[in-house]
Order: sequence, then C-alpha cells, then structure tokens
Amino acid sequence: MRFIKHIVFLFIITTTVASAQVKFEAKVSKEKLGVNERLRIDFEMNKDGDNFNPPGFNGFTVIGGPNQSVSNSWINGVRTYKKTYSYFLAPKSRGNFTIGQATIEIEGEIYKTTPIKVEVTAAIDKPKDPNDPDYVASNNIHLVAEVSNSNPYLNEAINVVYKLYVAPTTGVDNWREIDIPRYDDFWSQNIDTKGQRVQNGTYNGEEYRYLVLRKTVLYPQRTGRLNIEPLSLNVSVQVPTNRRDIFGSRLMTRVNRTVSAGNRTINVKSLPEKGKPADFSGAVGDFSFKVTASKTELDATESLQAKVEVRGKGNLKLFKLPKLTLPSSLEVYEPEHEENVSTTTSGMQGSISDTYTIVPQYKGKYPLSSVSFSYFDVKTKTYKRLSSDEIIINVLDGPVNTSSETTTPSSNTIKQTVVSNNNQFAFIKTNTDLVTTKTSYFFKSTLFWSLLLAPFLAIPLVVLVRRKKAIRDADVTANKIRKADRLARKYLKGAKKQLGKKEAFYEALEKALHNYLKAKLRIETSDLSKDRIQNLLLERNVENEVVNNFIAIFENCELARYTPITNVTMQEDYEKAAKTISLIDKQAR
Amino acid sequence: MKHFFYILIVLLSFILSEAQNRTLFEEGNTLYNEGKYAEAIDKYMAILETDKHSAELYFNLGNAHYRLNNVAPSIYYFEKAKLLDPNDRDIENNLAFANNMTIDAIDNIPEVGFSKFIKTITHSLNFDAWAKIAVVLAFLYVVLVLLYYLSYSSGKKRIAFVSSVICLLSLCIVLAFAFNKFELDKKNNPAIVFARESQVKTEPNLRSEEAFRLHEGTKVQVIDTVNNWKKIKLLDGKTGWIDNEDIKLLKAF
Repeated sequence: MRFIKHIVFLFIITTTVASAQVKFEAKVSKEKLGVNERLRIDFEMNKDGDNFNPPGFNGFTVIGGPNQSVSNSWINGVRTYKKTYSYFLAPKSRGNFTIGQATIEIEGEIYKTTPIKVEVTAAIDKPKDPNDPDYVASNNIHLVAEVSNSNPYLNEAINVVYKLYVAPTTGVDNWREIDIPRYDDFWSQNIDTKGQRVQNGTYNGEEYRYLVLRKTVLYPQRTGRLNIEPLSLNVSVQVPTNRRDIFGSRLMTRVNRTVSAGNRTINVKSLPEKGKPADFSGAVGDFSFKVTASKTELDATESLQAKVEVRGKGNLKLFKLPKLTLPSSLEVYEPEHEENVSTTTSGMQGSISDTYTIVPQYKGKYPLSSVSFSYFDVKTKTYKRLSSDEIIINVLDGPVNTSSETTTPSSNTIKQTVVSNNNQFAFIKTNTDLVTTKTSYFFKSTLFWSLLLAPFLAIPLVVLVRRKKAIRDADVTANKIRKADRLARKYLKGAKKQLGKKEAFYEALEKALHNYLKAKLRIETSDLSKDRIQNLLLERNVENEVVNNFIAIFENCELARYTPITNVTMQEDYEKAAKTISLIDKQAR
Repeated sequence: MKHFFYILIVLLSFILSEAQNRTLFEEGNTLYNEGKYAEAIDKYMAILETDKHSAELYFNLGNAHYRLNNVAPSIYYFEKAKLLDPNDRDIENNLAFANNMTIDAIDNIPEVGFSKFIKTITHSLNFDAWAKIAVVLAFLYVVLVLLYYLSYSSGKKRIAFVSSVICLLSLCIVLAFAFNKFELDKKNNPAIVFARESQVKTEPNLRSEEAFRLHEGTKVQVIDTVNNWKKIKLLDGKTGWIDNEDIKLLKAF
C-alpha cells in the first residue's frame, strides 16, 4: 500500500514538475542555406507569455512575419500548449550570421532563447516543385526569337521571327507586350502577322504548338556587333493542377508569367572594299536597271519623260538612284520619285524610279548619256555594274539655239510664203582647197623683218647718191673727161667684143674709128682718106702728136690683116685707140 | 639632167597625191550623202594623214561625227574648221548644233568697251595679213619720203610729207596689231574635253580635291602644263587641273 502511495506521489510530482517547466526556444528551418533561399525561424513556447521581443535579424530581410500560431491539445487528459512566432527571412549576402536572442516574459519571469548560427552559401539550384504552377508554366511556355542570318553584310536583309511555343498540356489565354524592341542601327519593318493560325512544331525535340507573334525585316545600317533587344510578354497561362473535378478531368489554374526572348547579337560584315565602284551608293541585293524615254522624236516645247528605274530585291528604299546627266540646253524639272516596294520576310522587292520631265527648247539632237548603277550582289559576293543604253532625243522642229530670229510663216494669208529655212543643220561642203598642215608663218620670219626694214635703208642710200651726183655735177673738167671716156667706150664696144680674134677685131676697130670720125667731124665715108682726116683734125686744134697716133692706129688696122699679131698687141692697140679717141674728143673744138 | 629628173618626179608625185586627195574627198562626200558616216570619216581621215587639211575637210568630218552622235569629235572638228575659216556661217551654225549635245552649261562673261573694240579689230585679220600690210606700208613710206626729198615744188613736197607721216603712223599701228594678234593667238590654246566625264582637280595630282567636273565636248583654254596635267580655264573664269588624256588640243596642227 505504501508502494502505491509512492507511485501516486511520484506521478503527481512529475506531472506538476512537467507542467511547471517553461520552454522558450528558437528553431530555424535550416542552418545552412543558399543566398537565394529563404529561412524560416520559429520562436516556440509552451506557456503563454507577454512582451515578445524578436531579435534584430542582422544580415537578413524580414519578408514575412511575425506570424503567431497557438495550439492547444488535450491528449489523454493532458493538455499541451504551444505558441509560435515565426518569421521568414531572406539573406542579404553570403557569410556566417548569428541570429540573436529573443526575449519573452512568462509568469513574471523573462526567458531568452539561445543565439543561432546560420551559414549563408552561394546560390544553389532550387529543387523544383513539379506541381508548382509557376514552374510548370515556365517549362511549358517559351518565347523564341529566330534570326535568319546572324552574320549578314551591311544592308543585307535579315528577318527576326518571334514565336511563342506552348506545350500541348497548357493553354494561353491572353498576352500583353511589355517591352517592344527598338531596333537601333537597323532599318526595320514589321510584317503584319494578324490572322496567323496556331501551328504545330517541335521545340527541343518535343511536340509544341506555336504562334508567330511578330515578324520583322531588318537591314543593318552599321557594321560590327549589333544587339537586338529582347521582346517581353506578359502571358496568362492555364496550368493543369493535380486536383481533378468530379468528372475526373484536371482542374486548371491560371498563372501570369513574363517571358522574354533573350538578347540576340548580330555580327554585321562590312561590304568588301576590293572592287568597290566609285559610284556605289549602297545598293545591296539583286537588281535590274534601265533608263527609258517616253519618246525619242518630238518637237521643241513638247515634253517627254525619262525614267530611271531599278527593279529587283534588296534595300530598295535605302539608296539613291543615279542621276540622269542631261545636255544643258534641255529644260529639266525635278524628278518625281516613285516607290513600288513590298516587304516580305525575305526583304524588300519591287521597283523604285525617278521620272524626269524634259522639255527641249531648241532643235537638234540631245544625247541622254548612259547612266551606270552599281550594287553589291550578296549571292556572288561581288559588285556588279549595270549601264543603260544611250538615248538620243531628236528634236525635229523648233528654233535653233544660236539665232534668236525665228522664221514665222504668215498663217493667215492663203498664199504660202516660201520661207528660207536657214536654221537647218548645214550639209557638208563639196569643194575644197587642201593646203599643207605644216604652215610656216610670214610674221616674225627673216623675210618679214628684211622686207620691213630694207626700205628704210634706201633712204640714206638715195641721199648719199644724190649728194655724190651733186658734187660731180659741180666739177666741169672732170665732167668733160668723163664724157670723152664714155664716148670712146661707146664706140669701141664692138671692138672689145672681138678681142682675141685678129681679123674680126681689127675690122671692128677700124669701123669704130670711122664711125667716131663720122660723128665727130661730120664727114661721109667716101671722103675718108688719111690726109683729109689729118687736115680736119688739125683744123679743130687737135695736137699734132695725137693726130699722128690716130693715123698710126688706122695704118695698124690695115697692116694687121696680113701680119701675125698676138693678143697682147691687140690689147695695146685697143687701149691706144681708146686713149686717142678720148684725147681728140678733149682737144677738138 | 639628173636634177631635172628628180624635180619632175617630185612634181609628178605632188600632182598625183593632190589628185588622190581630191578623189578621197569626193568619195567621202558620196559616202556621207549615202548615210555611211563612219566610212566617210575613214576617207576624210586618210586625207588628213597626208598632212593636208582645209576648213571644209574639218567641217565635213565634224558633220559626219555629229551624225554618229560623237559629241566631242564633232565639236573638235567644227572648232578646227572655225580656226581655219573664222567667218563661215555654216561652220558657226553646225557648231551650235553640236554644242547643244554637251552637258556642261558655262556662262560666257562678255568683254565690254574699249578692250572689246581693240579685240574685234585685232581678230579681223590674222597676224600674217597684218604683217603683209606692215611691209606694204613700209615701202609706201619710204617711197613718199624719197618723193619728198627729191621733188622740187613745195606743193608736191607738202603732200608727200603729210602722206608719209600718215603712212608711218599707220605702220606703227598695224605692227602693234600684228604683235597683239600674235600674242593673243599664242595665248589662245583651246582644247576639247574628250572624256565622258572628267574630274578637274585643284592641284596637278590625284590626291588633291576635286574642283569641278566637266563632260564630253566642253571647250576649255589650256594655260599651263605640268607633267601630264594641264591647267585649264573655263569661259566663266574657273580654273583647275585636268588629266592630259581627257582633253585634246585644237592647235595640234
């Protein structure tokens, strides 16, 4: 009995002790966690207390709490009481942290918890919860940007297609574009994707449905690494859950999720410098080029259209058409630019053209010289040049450029006046005098100078001659001598010619002397005897000696015919005759 | 005898080539009239190769080139014809037609006043004609001076004196014109741009900047030469350097 008493006593003691012991503890969900994980700390007590004072959570941010929970349970008549303050903490950084003491006042006494050490490590992969709708959504919804060519040439067309892949088990209610990419450094054009249908395709080897959200054609305008900004969408996704409805099909929950197609980098190559034409204006693609005129024969002041056209595929809107060079005498208006370009995923195609309106003012022929257009052919990776043909505009009728006077035929008269049309292109000349191309000029030649200056030399010459003549005229005796000499020479001229031929000379000499006497003494040939000559001469006061000489010459002449005579004697006789004649002439009166 | 033979041969060949050129010219004209312009040009050029030329020949060449739409050659030959015969209306007329085909529009700055007057007189005759007039005047002057010197009556003397002074004065003027014309002709060195398009540079090298562009058929004045660059001046006074290859001098003959 005493034993039973002991047992009862012990039981009472223990229960009272047990009920009397107060517990206040801090518990963490884990003592080692990644920086991307969260920590839950619970402060538990088995008796209700007041004035709970949480510690300062250094190195953590409180993202939830304090949450209070109280539990009372009666098991086999034993009451268990538990009150918990819980906090959710997120670490601010890596490292070892200590969570300090929390205090509480229970039945007038203050209890404290022990500090807890927590180690924060690098981020760790979160174990995924396969039933988390967010996780499910992230696995089943993908936004993908597909770039046709990530290494294009400058100005080569590329396209970006944004596709939203949705797994067959999930569904998409609605989407909203959060961030629309801006394509800096690109010329871009969106292609309308409205009315696109959902298509089936594979993504990472799995069956998916996809929708093309957006198509953009891009023409890089700068070389180097260019960034295409991501497209971000906010998508409402229907995700299946584990719960099922009464018919056994899965219940869906709705999750909002932001998806974005990541950044894409395009490496744009510059066009090769080698073989780059001087007139290259940046056209890249595949083109044809032509220049046409609406008419080639017209009258002045009529108008015609010349069209410079480039047709094909490439960056049609991004380069300038080559200019038409026209003769300055044509009146030209500013060209009218026309674009007929459609943009598809493969780029722009169509044609662009400049139409020039030309009004010729004058008659004549005007060549529209050939225009060349060069472009870079991406397929062959070479530059190509296309040239148009030269077009000749023939203006048939109209005024001529130079002559301002225009022939105006009178229209109101019935008779048509014949208008001489001198404003025609003249015909060739049919007659010519060809001269040598190697002309020598008269001006500045020696002949020119001598002809110019020679006359001036004549002036002093004439003056000099005239002076001399005057002096000579003044001298009377000298004049007389000169006159006699001249006379003798005159008569003996015939004889001098025959000098050397004996007979002929003496015959001539005799004849000359006779002639002289005839002239001087005025006698006839019949009277010409030596005595008579002597008398006549003496009568005229000619000296005896001279007369004798004269007669001697006469005799010599007769004698010489029969005797051999040398040239020297002949010369002597001639001189003697001359001298004698001159003396007679001087002395005779 | 031998000399005589040589002279005869030279004379004969001269006459023969003259006759040959005449037939070539006529053949060319016939071909032109039939519309065979290129063949006509060949005939005319054959005449030029014998170092013979005339204004008419150049005119016909220019016409044929115009018909073939060769801008620069047609202007070139019309200008050449004009050099030989400056007063021909037909040449002037067809040159205007050819000039219509050119692309460049260049304003001509007209000369005015006294300098224009002097220029027109200077250009009315070529310098050889001026020189011949000068020679005639020199002779006339000397004759008059001698008349003055030799004549006895005071009336004759007076007339001779006055006219000789007039003669001397006009001789000086004519000589001045001759020299002026000669200098002007020497300075006048026109050329025609033959290149379809030619860049005119600011300096005679390829590095320098482009001053302006000229097109086929434009007439320029050459004022200087450095290596294979020519300094040119346009009618409106712009100057620049152009590649030798791009132009053709008119006074190549």
